[in-house]
Amino acid sequence: MTRVRPLPLAVAAGAALLPVLLPHPFVLTIATQAAIWALLAASWDLLSGYTGQISFGHAGFFALGAYAAAAATKHADVSPWLGLLVGAAIATAVGLLTGFPALRLRGHYLALVTLGLAEIIRLVAQNWLALTGGPFGIHDFRSFPGLPAAAMAHRQAMYGVVVVIVTVSIAAMYLLCERTNAGKAFRAIREDEVLAQTLGINTTRYKLLAFAVSSGFAGLAGGLYAYYVQLVSPTVASAATTSLVIGMAVFGGLGTLWGPVLGALLLYGLYEGLRFVGVVYNLVAVGLVIMVFVIYFPRGLAGIRRSA
Amino acid sequence: MLESLLEFLIQGVVLGGLYALFAVGLSLIFGVLDVINVAHGEFFAIGGYMAFTAVVLLHLPGAVGIVGAAVGTFLLGLCVYPLLIAPLKRHLGGRPQGPLYLVLTLGLSTFLQSSLLAIAGGDYLRVPPQVTGILDLGVTAVSFQRLLVLGVAAVLLTALFLFLRFHPEGLAVRAVSQNPDAAQAMGINLPRVFAFTLALGVALAGVGGALMAPLFNVYPAVGFPLTIKAFAITILGGMGNPAGALVASFLVSIAESLSVMVIPSQWQNLIAFAVMIVMLLIRPRGLFGRAVSR
Repeated sequence: MTRVRPLPLAVAAGAALLPVLLPHPFVLTIATQAAIWALLAASWDLLSGYTGQISFGHAGFFALGAYAAAAATKHADVSPWLGLLVGAAIATAVGLLTGFPALRLRGHYLALVTLGLAEIIRLVAQNWLALTGGPFGIHDFRSFPGLPAAAMAHRQAMYGVVVVIVTVSIAAMYLLCERTNAGKAFRAIREDEVLAQTLGINTTRYKLLAFAVSSGFAGLAGGLYAYYVQLVSPTVASAATTSLVIGMAVFGGLGTLWGPVLGALLLYGLYEGLRFVGVVYNLVAVGLVIMVFVIYFPRGLAGIRRSA
Repeated sequence: MLESLLEFLIQGVVLGGLYALFAVGLSLIFGVLDVINVAHGEFFAIGGYMAFTAVVLLHLPGAVGIVGAAVGTFLLGLCVYPLLIAPLKRHLGGRPQGPLYLVLTLGLSTFLQSSLLAIAGGDYLRVPPQVTGILDLGVTAVSFQRLLVLGVAAVLLTALFLFLRFHPEGLAVRAVSQNPDAAQAMGINLPRVFAFTLALGVALAGVGGALMAPLFNVYPAVGFPLTIKAFAITILGGMGNPAGALVASFLVSIAESLSVMVIPSQWQNLIAFAVMIVMLLIRPRGLFGRAVSR
């Protein structure tokens, strides 16, 4: 377990050097957003891949984080650094609340409830004009203070901020899943919940923990998105967002954390890269990738590497 | 007060016909294949595009558009099992499916929706109504197009339930829904029933799409919100229980219509989800569902 893994090191080194090696606005924009997606995909994987609690509502937690952060800064002039925490805290709270009914639900039912929850969040975002700005969303709020003002330097600094927060968050989730008893409990619940209970694992506690941690990091990703893109609109909460995240996780390999992260970076790159071919073909390709990988490589890129 | 109550009630019943066409098919597919078809709404959209192609592009009569949508989506639906679901089933062997079927149909949904966008563009396409005119009921007026939706839904769903009750093929479908292993042991060809049921289910959505095209317009994402709402309806009715889905469709549509009297109309879409979540907390098997052990 402690041997040096060349691939993660190479990815980390590449990520750290990117703003210096390729100081291009387009590349940095895509890379920054890809990092945010990586965090969201990893948070989904913690709940759905590791713990086996399928969420179709991560767009909702993401949107909660984004809206809470943006609204806090816009309406209450909360510092964006604090706003990130506000977004994560609110997403955690709602995730925990979702966790309670989820204790009684499995598989399909849980997926549908979380999908319904995300839809409720989207509808509230669209209709609560005073707080969310309705269909136009929240815009014109300030971003992280203290970053350089020059365009290029600002992008580089922004990239650095996002990548550091994302990396630390993913590392924290990885440690939780791979180095603690909670991680073992998560996997036990995924494999056989009844058996896990019989073995004395407090499944209620660990399921709620998985919900709270997963939705919290999804909310944090939402907050980063809000301060980076500077616009939060109801489409953020749409099922298409969830669809893309699940696609990334399946593409990378469920239940590995690094798989979904890699999947997010590659699939988002593909998604944006294909914009040059045509704006709609990128989603056609995403749909195809999801179908092909689910059928032929259900364990994703991680599984291919493992069996090779 | 009483008049507006009656008015909203009638509007609710008319809307219920559409929900029923949609949700009964979804529930049937779930009952037989144990697969939640996230791409159901895309077949609704495809039905709409087929009606548009027949009526607007080829200048054929409206009825041809409806029949064309039914046949077209049925044939497309026939491909879904052998091309997507069967290979995954083979690949999985006996291993737990987890979220994989859901993710598969989610991928299909994304693929179909964006393919429609690539082929037809994102414009809202107008389709002329298959029938024109308005029925004046005194308290309210209902367009013949909406009555047509309700009428076709009634005819098709009656036919479906008779088929499931009496026809040998329908009996096979129900047998597989109750116990696939025993059904196979009795000589029922499972893959055939799976493919056929899926095609039947999505064809109902396709007809719905063709009928609703004049009322909703047609665009690639037209069906997706319906899919999400139909999930709520099928949970309310008990998953895998088409008759329950039928009743739940009307309950939800009537609740939505009546809600306008109490809450602002933009919130009415929330009702189905609120009902779904409450239902899952109190009685996860739904109003008419079998005991849940999945």
